[in-house]
Amino acid sequence: MAGAGNGVLASSFRDPSGFLFIENDTLYRQVNKVYQQDYDLLINSGLLQKLVACRLLIPHQEVARERIGTDAAYRIIRPDIIHYISYPYEWCFSQLKDAALTTLQIQKTALEHGMSLKDASAYNIQFIGSRPLLIDTLSFESYQKGKPWVAYRQFCQHFLAPLALMSYCDVRLNQLLQTNIDGVPLDMASCLLPKRTRLKFSLFTHIHLHARSQKRYADVAISPAKRKTARVSELGLRALVESLESAIKKLSWKAADTEWGNYYAATNYADAAMEHKKKLVDEFVAMISPAPARIQDLGANTGVFSQIAARHCDTVISQDVDPSAVEQNYRRCVDSGEKGILPLQLDLTTPSPGIGWANAERMAFMDRISTDTVLALALIHHLAISNNLPLPKVADFFRQIAAYLLIEFVPKSDSQVKRLLTTREDIFPEYTQQGFEAAFMQCFTVVRQAQIESSDRVLYLLRRSDGCR
Amino acid sequence: MEKSSKLLSFAAIVLLVGGMFPVQAYAYLDPGTGSFVLQMLVAGLLGAMLYVKLAWANLKLFFSRLLSKSAAPESLLDTPEEKPEHKRQ
Repeated sequence: MAGAGNGVLASSFRDPSGFLFIENDTLYRQVNKVYQQDYDLLINSGLLQKLVACRLLIPHQEVARERIGTDAAYRIIRPDIIHYISYPYEWCFSQLKDAALTTLQIQKTALEHGMSLKDASAYNIQFIGSRPLLIDTLSFESYQKGKPWVAYRQFCQHFLAPLALMSYCDVRLNQLLQTNIDGVPLDMASCLLPKRTRLKFSLFTHIHLHARSQKRYADVAISPAKRKTARVSELGLRALVESLESAIKKLSWKAADTEWGNYYAATNYADAAMEHKKKLVDEFVAMISPAPARIQDLGANTGVFSQIAARHCDTVISQDVDPSAVEQNYRRCVDSGEKGILPLQLDLTTPSPGIGWANAERMAFMDRISTDTVLALALIHHLAISNNLPLPKVADFFRQIAAYLLIEFVPKSDSQVKRLLTTREDIFPEYTQQGFEAAFMQCFTVVRQAQIESSDRVLYLLRRSDGCR
Repeated sequence: MEKSSKLLSFAAIVLLVGGMFPVQAYAYLDPGTGSFVLQMLVAGLLGAMLYVKLAWANLKLFFSRLLSKSAAPESLLDTPEEKPEHKRQ
């Protein structure tokens, strides 16, 4: 058998049940012999079939293991492809909430089939469009009557604590997940949450009391032998899961009228300009050949243009810095049953870094985005003026990530740029259409350009020049 | 918070000294001692509440059956392991 060492994914090392690896550009998961009994139970109990049918678990195919995998292999499976991996700190409130409820639904279904989730990591959930599903087929173990839920702490840290903080304190606190790879520490959540949350039974028990219990027993070790004597009845376990579900369902966040969430209503964007821009975007994306499988819409706001782009590809990754805009985008996708758009939160001035062990467990944004077709509409003035980025640096950034770039130049005569310059000195003499073209033509060629009616803005479809990647 | 500390201590005594029914436990995650103790306490409390809730629902079903003379209802307290043919509520 060929060794799988070179292709093992950097994030796939914690669970001895198996690991993910890439061979000949195909993603496989090795199921180790130590996981044989649980894997067989997953299949024989009907749980795998049930979860896949309910679209709660990623489907997979078993493949012959003669040529791939290691000697520890019991089975090799090929899971369906996830087009874009996203992380919990890039999800809006409702995405994290839906991921939490999906995890609990899976745990309830697993218990009905005599199994239980042995972990409850938010990183095990990925979104296909607006639908969350579990991607770790090896997350299940045989449920033994009386055994407590081993993933209870992890669920509280990965889901309940950040959602409670987003709901009661500030929605931007989802960023705590970026600095705490195993979820928000409960003592931190307990400190940050307002005192009134102690009056909520579920938050009092699962966060405040939980944090206190962790502190109380921080230095107390329970031997594996004594742990085996601990019991939680099946009814108690069901009640615990339902209590967590109830706690999650009660948490809410109302997307406020933020600068970006209310952008289109608040700007003096002429209807004619908006309609013409939509028409141009549709035409320009249709010109890209071959048709892209995936499009990145950076600065997508509430996803108006992502919807247009979605007509021409399988998936649009619709990213914006504003939590309210992403929330609106996601809720609209859920309500309309939109499958081709994945809304995500992204601050392009400081994109998600690589985190975890050796900075490699969770990939940096730049490592996930390359070779895409990119939309950058009404974005460049925020990069060049709000973030002081020289145009050649902006062009170089897009050169790295975009084979095709649909970009809108917003000149200083535009009301939005004027607004940005009202509170600061104009130190951007190079920020002109000529300066823009000089910077971008270093590494792109124009496929098509057009003035947007009733505005001074210009829309470009650019193709990266050969040898500029 | 003194009361909560006492509750947690009580739960720990039940957990550590109780030595009840042995249960196999292999896991790659560390469930955390504090989380372990709290889970027993909370699951015990919530499980008891759920038991009462389901028993009350069963009682209501029993009397409604008595009045309507319909077919015998299922017990809401049964688990699939005990009666696999029963549908979970």
